[in-house]
Order: sequence, then C-alpha cells, then structure tokens
Amino acid sequence: MYAQGKVFQSTTPLPVSTVPEQFVRADLEFIDVDHAGPSFEARVFVNNPNANMNTPPTEAYGFAGCFNVFGHGGCFGDPGHCDVHEKREDSFDPRLSHPLIPMKKVVIATAAIRKAVNQRTDIHVTVVPIIKSWTEKSEADDILRFDHINLITYR
Amino acid sequence: MASLTVRKNIESLTPAELQVLRDAYLRLQSIWDNRGYNYFAGLHGIPNWYCNHHDRSIRTLQNLRLFLPWHRAYLLYFEKALRDQAGPDPKIGLPWWDWTSATSHTIGVPAALAEPAVDGRFNPLSRAAIYAPAANPPIWRWTRRFPGDPRWLPSAALVNSLLDLSQFRDFSIQLEDIHDYVHGWAGGNNGSVGGDMGNLGTAAWDPLFWSHHCTIDRIWYMWQLRQGVNNISPELLPVVLQPFSLTVEDVLNVNALGYEYAISKVAIR
Repeated sequence: MYAQGKVFQSTTPLPVSTVPEQFVRADLEFIDVDHAGPSFEARVFVNNPNANMNTPPTEAYGFAGCFNVFGHGGCFGDPGHCDVHEKREDSFDPRLSHPLIPMKKVVIATAAIRKAVNQRTDIHVTVVPIIKSWTEKSEADDILRFDHINLITYR
Repeated sequence: MASLTVRKNIESLTPAELQVLRDAYLRLQSIWDNRGYNYFAGLHGIPNWYCNHHDRSIRTLQNLRLFLPWHRAYLLYFEKALRDQAGPDPKIGLPWWDWTSATSHTIGVPAALAEPAVDGRFNPLSRAAIYAPAANPPIWRWTRRFPGDPRWLPSAALVNSLLDLSQFRDFSIQLEDIHDYVHGWAGGNNGSVGGDMGNLGTAAWDPLFWSHHCTIDRIWYMWQLRQGVNNISPELLPVVLQPFSLTVEDVLNVNALGYEYAISKVAIR
C-alpha cells in the first residue's frame, strides 16, 4: 500500500577525516524540508547507496534513523494561498510566518556515524521516502525536497 | 472550586464512561455553529490553518517552536466544548490513545475508536462528517482512515528515550517527528486515496486525532515531570496561541488548566 518516492543520494561523500573521532551523539540535520505535499517517512541510510523501501531498517544495512513528514496535502485554498513568502520585511507585522516555510528535521544517527568513523569510511547518505498518505492535490513521486544536510556531533 | 478532570487511557474506560463519551461526541458533531465539532476541526487545517508545527517566526526571523503549547491549548478548548455536551456527572475528559500499548501493537486503533457501530448505533469516535465549503474544491464527505501494520506503531522504549532529552527544543523536535509518523500511519491509503489523519488539512476531523494528540500532550506532561514544568525557551512564554486566549506560559502547568493524567490514586494511611 505504501509507495516509494524518488530517492536522494548525496553527490559528494563527506570525508570521514572532517568528523571528530570523539562524540556522544551525532545528528543528521535536514535543512529546509518541504512539507507541502503528501505525508511520508524518510529512511536515512549511511553508506548504502542501494537502499530502497524494502531494505531492512537495521544497522547492518546502514540504517541511521528516519524522519517523518506530516504533509499539508496540497493546496486547498484559492490561487496563491500556499505561496510562501520567506522573508518578512515589515517589522510591524504581528502575524506568524507562513505555515509552509520549509522545516528542519533532526535524525539522531549516532550509531551509524560512529560505525563510519570507526571504519574510516567517508560518509555517503541515501534517503528513501516512503509515501503514506496523500490527497488529489498533492504530488505523488518527487516529494523529498530539502536544501542540505548538516552533520552535527556533540561531546 | 471545580475538581481536576482526569484524562484516561481509552483502553481503561468503562462501558458507561465510553457511552458518555460517545453521546457527547455525537452531540458535538451535530452542532454546525462555533460550538460544534466541525468548527473546532476547521481551526487546525482547512479552512483556518491556525495549527503550529515545526518552526514559525514572528516579526523577526527568530524561530518559535509552538507545536506542543499550541496543541495543548487546542485540546483544552475542544475538551471544554465536548464537556458542554455531556452531563455534569460523570465528568469526562479527552481519552488518550496509547499507540505504544500491547493492544495497539496487536490490533492497531483500539476498538472504541475503530468500530463503526456499537450496539447497532453509529459510533461517533470512528468517523465524522467534513463540511468545508470554503475549501477549493469544497469538501462534504465522511472522514477516511486506512491504518497501517500495528507492529510498526512507535514503541514504549522509543518514547521513554525522549524523556531523557533535557532541552525543550530537542525534545519537541523528536516528539513532533513521532507525532508525524503516527499521522501517516493512521491516515494511510487504500491505493487510490489517502486517509484524513495523514493530511494536515483534514486530520482534525478524524476523531482519532484528538486521542492521538492527547497522547502527545501526555508525553510532554511526563517529560515536564522529569525535566521541569517551566523548561522551555523564555522567548516563547508571552506568545499568544491564536485563536485561543492563552499564552505559552498559560499552558505549561496542566493542573492550572484543570486536568491531569493520573492513572490511579491510592490513599496510604
């Protein structure tokens, strides 16, 4: 019943030499994730470029964790309703920012990052979107959109 | 002074308590003005879009994470409207759906929230009518729900791991993600159309929404017990949770809002 959307592959592996060897927690932060469309689960794999929705979500397969998007479901307003105005120039405007401003998602990926660091392998990220629910107004395939990923480590 | 309302696990409600709850939901769903179910459901997404998820900003580009406080206020107003439709005794509170329980991991949505009829009568906890004439296109139909495999509901271990997170922002981001997952799980699809819980615009019409969010609120409450009731970014405190007449600071203490989540009370002498 669930469908796989278009998979994301990081184009340039992150050199493992740039990651501190000592950390107690490692997060993969997904910046400016779009949530205007369907609801989906995004399974994150480290150093498994062949991962797909049938890949077991276990450490052995490089599964690092997942993030989930509770989708807006497409636009049910009049034309322009879901157009996002990202920056507010008027400092006297008391309204909250547009609900569809892209969001940040944080995957706590400590075990997967530690494994890569211990094995001295550069870090390649694959994200597999699994579509759960949609409306007639939301896209069906190219749903996983974000700006970039940050790797954050904590001591 | 009024006593606190106890919000209970829906699996623990007696048949009599469930009947009171169903009667109140049915009455609420029969009211189409601003006291009724359709009005409250329409505050979340279609057509009013008041809900707060992820980061928002106001005036400056400072990020505000209002997901938990806003939904606490929302549930409170809904619960008050629901109680208006129930008799004074017994008192009812919103029931919470523990999607980590053994029952949920076996059958999925509890029978009280899933059975379309009870004793031959419509069960208003299983679905509701959506009337949203201002939507484009207008919506006028029953809610739909296609829940997933019960074994894939979040575990108690996952929830417990969140209670150790000491920073509100960190906790809120992780809890909201689990919340997002359950919405997608509960909405699901039948291959051609998605369920309402999986779409923000219509999710609040599904009666399951309220018990799901009651669980989210309860997890925040349990986190507050461990990490501090006032453990929240100070800049959030004066923010008004529109359209409700409450600020973030107003909703931090659930007892001050008139409810609690106690599961038992035993006198020891």
